[in-house]
Amino acid sequence: MVSVRRSASAFVAVAIGVALVAAATLLLASGRPQVPDRLARAAVVVQSPEAGASADAFVPTRPWSATATAGLVGRLAALPGVAAVVPDRTFYAQPLVDGRPVAADTRREDAHQGHGWSSAQLGGLRRTAGEPPLRPGEVVVDRALGLRTGAPVTLLTAAGPEAYTVTGLVDGPGVLVADEVAAALAPGVRTIGLVLAPGADPERVATAARGVVGGDGQVLTGAARGALEPRGDARTRWIGMQVLTATAALAGFVTVFVVASTFAFTIAQRRRELGLLRAVGATGRQVRRMVYAEALAVGAAAGLVGLLVGAALAPLLGRLLVDVGYEPSTFRVRYELWPVAVSFAAGPVIALLAVWSASRRAARVRPLEALREAAVEQRPIGRVRVAVGALLVAAGLALSVGTATADEARIAAQYALYAVMALVAGATVLAPAVVGPVVRLLRSPLRRPGGAIGMLVRGGALTATRRTAAIAAPVLLTVAFAVLVSGMVRTTTAAYAAGRADNVNAGWILVPDRAPGLSDRAVAATGGTALLPTTVYRTDPGELPADRPLTALGVEPAGFAAANRALTVVAGSLDDLRGDDTVVVTEAANLRPSEAYAVVFADGTSVSLRVVAVVSDTSIPGDLLVPRAVVRTHDPSALTSTVYVRDRIDPPAGARVVDVATWAAEADAAEDRLVWLFTLLLIGVSAGYGAIAVANTLLLAAAGRAADLRLIRLAGATRRQVLWLVTAESAVVVLIGALLGGAVAFVGLLSIRAGLAEQVGAPVDLVVPWSVVAGVVGLCLLLAALASALPTWRSLRRRPARSSVGVVG
Amino acid sequence: MPAPARRAAPPVFGTVTVMTTDTVTLTGLRTVYGTGDRRVTALDGVTTSFAGGTFTAVMGPSGSGKSTLLHCAAGLDRATEGVVTIDGVRLDDLGEDELTRLRRDRIGFVFQAFNLVSTLTAAQNVELPSRLARRRPPAADVAAALDAVGLADRAGHRPSELSGGEQQRVAVARALITRPAVVFADEPTGALDSSASRQVLRLLRALVDDHGQTVVMVTHDPAAAAYADRVLLLADGRVVDELTGPITAAAVAARIAERETVPAESSW
Ligand SMILES: Nc1ncnc2c1ncn2[C@@H]1O[C@H](COP(=O)(O)OP(=O)(O)O)[C@@H](O)[C@H]1O
Ligand SMILES: [Mg+2]
Repeated sequence: MVSVRRSASAFVAVAIGVALVAAATLLLASGRPQVPDRLARAAVVVQSPEAGASADAFVPTRPWSATATAGLVGRLAALPGVAAVVPDRTFYAQPLVDGRPVAADTRREDAHQGHGWSSAQLGGLRRTAGEPPLRPGEVVVDRALGLRTGAPVTLLTAAGPEAYTVTGLVDGPGVLVADEVAAALAPGVRTIGLVLAPGADPERVATAARGVVGGDGQVLTGAARGALEPRGDARTRWIGMQVLTATAALAGFVTVFVVASTFAFTIAQRRRELGLLRAVGATGRQVRRMVYAEALAVGAAAGLVGLLVGAALAPLLGRLLVDVGYEPSTFRVRYELWPVAVSFAAGPVIALLAVWSASRRAARVRPLEALREAAVEQRPIGRVRVAVGALLVAAGLALSVGTATADEARIAAQYALYAVMALVAGATVLAPAVVGPVVRLLRSPLRRPGGAIGMLVRGGALTATRRTAAIAAPVLLTVAFAVLVSGMVRTTTAAYAAGRADNVNAGWILVPDRAPGLSDRAVAATGGTALLPTTVYRTDPGELPADRPLTALGVEPAGFAAANRALTVVAGSLDDLRGDDTVVVTEAANLRPSEAYAVVFADGTSVSLRVVAVVSDTSIPGDLLVPRAVVRTHDPSALTSTVYVRDRIDPPAGARVVDVATWAAEADAAEDRLVWLFTLLLIGVSAGYGAIAVANTLLLAAAGRAADLRLIRLAGATRRQVLWLVTAESAVVVLIGALLGGAVAFVGLLSIRAGLAEQVGAPVDLVVPWSVVAGVVGLCLLLAALASALPTWRSLRRRPARSSVGVVG
Repeated sequence: MPAPARRAAPPVFGTVTVMTTDTVTLTGLRTVYGTGDRRVTALDGVTTSFAGGTFTAVMGPSGSGKSTLLHCAAGLDRATEGVVTIDGVRLDDLGEDELTRLRRDRIGFVFQAFNLVSTLTAAQNVELPSRLARRRPPAADVAAALDAVGLADRAGHRPSELSGGEQQRVAVARALITRPAVVFADEPTGALDSSASRQVLRLLRALVDDHGQTVVMVTHDPAAAAYADRVLLLADGRVVDELTGPITAAAVAARIAERETVPAESSW
């Protein structure tokens, strides 16, 4: 009894949902760490100890000091089967072309990394011309830069621009310098590569190496060497995972929702037929089983189609993800079994979940309903439904309060998402009860467009509340989601930027341009106050985890204090931040001035610092303050992130000057861009889906209303009037959904604003991106108008008198 | 055909029902819809019976309770008071599923319209009750049933490809194939022209004459009623008159006109 036309909408909805789930899970399964090409030939790699941070912090491992490295290299070289032991050193070095960094390379982390020449043997880098770098001032560069051997080239390093001569070219990103130069620029080592003798077994060598290394690092072989991928790549991939997981989850959630409303609608339309089945002897259970079987058939078929579409789309989407920065450039789509299995199962599962409540309603259809003429729905909303809706709304409101009172932004955002899901589900469940009053509210604007049409529109929307609600539900869902998520992102971004700008006391700010940071030379040229961040590792006595990564900021205390309005000194004095062993900690460290504070620096050396002052937790953009010279001593490749200057200056190479407001807005720009893209992606998925659902439901409704419309035609309405009627009807329903959705989202946004205001400590403006909202509502309106006007127009081309057989009131 | 579960009836009516030869009995049937101001008494104490192998026409003004009577007798609706038995089984003793099974096995329907499932062909519609009972009638039986109603060549057509009269005849074929004890028809010719009406009525008559089945038909057309063995006249939810013996359209019309002269609140 599966009817093609009737199942078409559910089929399309499930197929799209499964296609999204399939594409997302395929991409998710493909996102695995890649062994960097640079280390491809090192069958065994020793990595320095993990930092004691959560896996999603993406901090580099704690480096070995020069002495520790030398010791390890010596002992590893003595192992049988080891041909060469190479400490792989990585530091900042960026070739300038025409005095500027190369634009195309800014996103590839390894394009501005330098290594010692000996590292070349770990990856089988092919030298295409020239000689290896042997002396300071000699460099081998990527041949893609277009330089020739013997040519001069300027390398931007942490110290500043340096003059080098190209001695050779290789086939790969980054630059290679003499090992002694590399050792000076990167005294701390995080990776030691082992090149094995021909025929040596990597696993056996690895076991022996583990005995040598002990607890002072991990020995990696095979695919496990993926852990050595650049931290930036790992982070990008993690972001991609979040995006894909959220997309898949949203697609699943929305699909169940939309398909459920489609099924509910088809069941409502088939009451008469179901009644007939009951009359001629189908039990309630049989009707229910039939509805389930239909859903299963539709779900399985649509799932298969969706899977194929998703699989075909995955490589395109994968490329897109790389382009926008959600996946590292090494990302490739791989067709694994589990995403295929999951997606294949998703179709029937989604369909069965979605049809659950509709099937209960179908089983309750009484045989007499076959005989009732008018399909006037009696009670618009059941008591259980009211209770469920009220519970959901209550949960949503409670979660909104949670959002408003949460301390941490991430937790608040999570609460907000759950809150909106609960509110949306609640509003959809309660929609039939709310639709009546809302339609009555809309009465006055509707009165004008031609009395009869307005009357018919109102009448239809009021009596068929369930139908109206079924059409309004996807609009509600879409608009609520779009308004809430986009509003939340924009409001949060604006609030944080405002907070940042408020805290800075400077006229202009120098920031890096096409480079990861500013060199010392650039900083010195400005005469401003600079922040020189570096990662240090701290093992708190008697506490786990060990080697906790902390951001230490190298500063000049006087300038820093003047530029930072948020600075609150709790104990001690910032003026004492001098010499080579002083530190300022935040209250979170729970220490007092003159206490000792030991940290491991980027060069792997452990230094016992002395606390000279304690500042409040939120007063510095990091964890510790140390004298700038201390950072430079221990991290020759540290780069300055920001320089505060009084007057506008001419920016040096690899830098740009911006005003404070721009800087505040840009500070997290890369991050904000990804977040905003992600937001648009989610909104796009849900909006496209909502619009399709609206169109689907309207197409179904049009089929059911053909007889009605013919009657109106017979009563003397012109074709134009009937078209206007159906279009106005759908517009009203879409607007009702948009209003309800907007209201739901507004509640959520207000609570988010309250939470933000508490965090930032200042009133926060609500930012709602109206263009996004207008786009979403417009899309729904457009598809709704098309989906109702087109089939009507087609059916109106036939003569009005050809009424269907047996329709007698 | 498996006999429907016979329950031990309560002693008061048990003896009565077992002794009767009537296929359908109605005892003290009252049906009240709505409450308060909107309270409507659709049936106001109807007691009658339909003997096996007879054709009864139920007539009366619009709103007199004809359809309600039919629905209650067929177990589609439950009366507020009173007892219905079909083949000696008390319907009020049956649960929803047992009632459904009884309908499937013992009762056939021909409605005024919307008799057929639109997504199924004529043949599939004929098979439907048996299929619901998990039996597959032999294809020859289905073909024979359709042939009996003159639609042998339309077996593969869907309802939308059939005229109103043809749809009604498919419904009759459906009532034919399971050989139900009783066929209820609610204005089966209401939407048909006179020649299509005659065909359907002749088929209903044949159910009684050739197969000994029982037919109860609601109609407002004296010419249709003339096919019956007996005519029940309903007014305001009560049986007010009954005609038996050879029935002619003229006699029915006369009897109705007679009642019309008596002041009555509703018109035909
Ligand atoms: N489900 C119902 N709810 C309320 N009133 C009903 C219902 N069904 C029938 N009625 C009322 O009962 C009376 C008898 O109806 P019905 O049996 O359909 O009459 P007939 O078929 O003779 O025209 C009418 O007044 C009708 O309005
Ligand atoms: Mg009637």
